[in-house]
Amino acid sequence: MSQSTRSTNIKPELDYETLRDIIDLALWAGQLLLQNGAETARVEESVHRLGTALGAHWMDILVSPNAIMVTTTSGQEFRTKIRRVVAMGVNMQILAEVRTLVHQAERGQIDRAGTRERLTRLSRLKPQYNRWTVVVLVGLGCAAFSRLFGGDWPVFLVTFAAASVAQFVRQELQRRHFNSLIVVVVTSFFASLIGSSATFYNLSPQPQTAMIASVILLVPGIHLVNAMRDLVSGHLVTGMVRGVVGGMVSLGIALGLVMAMRLVGISGL
Amino acid sequence: MNTLDVIGFVIQDGIWSALAATCFGILFNVPPKLLPGCAAAAAFGHGLRALLMQLGLDIEISTLLGSTVIGFISLYLSRRWHAPIPVFTLSAAVTMVPGVFAYRTMLAIIELSLGNADTANAAMIAASTNAVRTAMILGAIALGIAAPALLFNREPPVV
Repeated sequence: MSQSTRSTNIKPELDYETLRDIIDLALWAGQLLLQNGAETARVEESVHRLGTALGAHWMDILVSPNAIMVTTTSGQEFRTKIRRVVAMGVNMQILAEVRTLVHQAERGQIDRAGTRERLTRLSRLKPQYNRWTVVVLVGLGCAAFSRLFGGDWPVFLVTFAAASVAQFVRQELQRRHFNSLIVVVVTSFFASLIGSSATFYNLSPQPQTAMIASVILLVPGIHLVNAMRDLVSGHLVTGMVRGVVGGMVSLGIALGLVMAMRLVGISGL
Repeated sequence: MNTLDVIGFVIQDGIWSALAATCFGILFNVPPKLLPGCAAAAAFGHGLRALLMQLGLDIEISTLLGSTVIGFISLYLSRRWHAPIPVFTLSAAVTMVPGVFAYRTMLAIIELSLGNADTANAAMIAASTNAVRTAMILGAIALGIAAPALLFNREPPVV
């Protein structure tokens, strides 16, 4: 708290209404970060820096897996607020934009009204890439993975088809707001069903590579890596929850794969 | 393999991992002007891993060193382009995810569930060794990409 008392001398004390505005904005930025794939340390630091840049003397943040709680302090006055965090997805554009916003606020280039305008725009942001571009490129990305796993050209083509169809299936299911684990199981089923054709028609000496590479688009890499980062930096609760989410998604992938392999009648090795 | 073969293999590996990282960057909605950074981090990191594995190192150690390179390249790019580090580290680290080991773990567990006494021993060994390797590779990725922060960014946290 030494820093808090020190900065009290520099910054004017804010009234209760202004504190409400600041806590709302800082919490909003934190929610955007947590929902779009930032690790816990980044959420805490960004909320603190944005709040203090906008005029608060100190911000205390508690990040839990599905809510953020913030207390903002100015002189003797303080306010506390909780905001729910509904889904954990990945959107790097929003992480980049929130970082720019925090830096601008710290340099005094943007005020509270400007911050509110920016956060409103970020919350309504549409994806930058056309959905069909994503379908084709996810197919290409998984096909590149099949080469990294040692697959040959027939495997490359099968993987490309399987992963593209799987991404399309995933988009359709997500648009209809199915439970995220159901989305994973069904997508994994379609990916490995098409991927298993390499084994079924014996297109290559190592046909199972196509099945492995086709489901790579579902692998919860970001959840697992963020889980390890949180655990290493001492945020044990969020780290464990992210790890459990990653584990459940992996099990969902396995379930879809097994259903497809039983249906086609291949062993997969 | 002779030296030229190894170099060719590593270059090919770098190109495919750059392509994979770019495509996954698009799935993660990375802004277009930052995509070359994801590709570069993945190409050098995964290429180094392939080289070390060709030289005879374990996949775990190679992954640790390769992802450390990803961490440092991403730190440099994030300062240069004023972008958050995870944009580069996460897109590039996806290329190192141990998909094959996770797949083999799962197949061995299914093999166990079939209840065939002859193959149960081999399946048990396959399931446990592959599960341990999957976990160790994931840990190596996370430690490697966090390495710059863990080594050099040791000021007390602001909060």
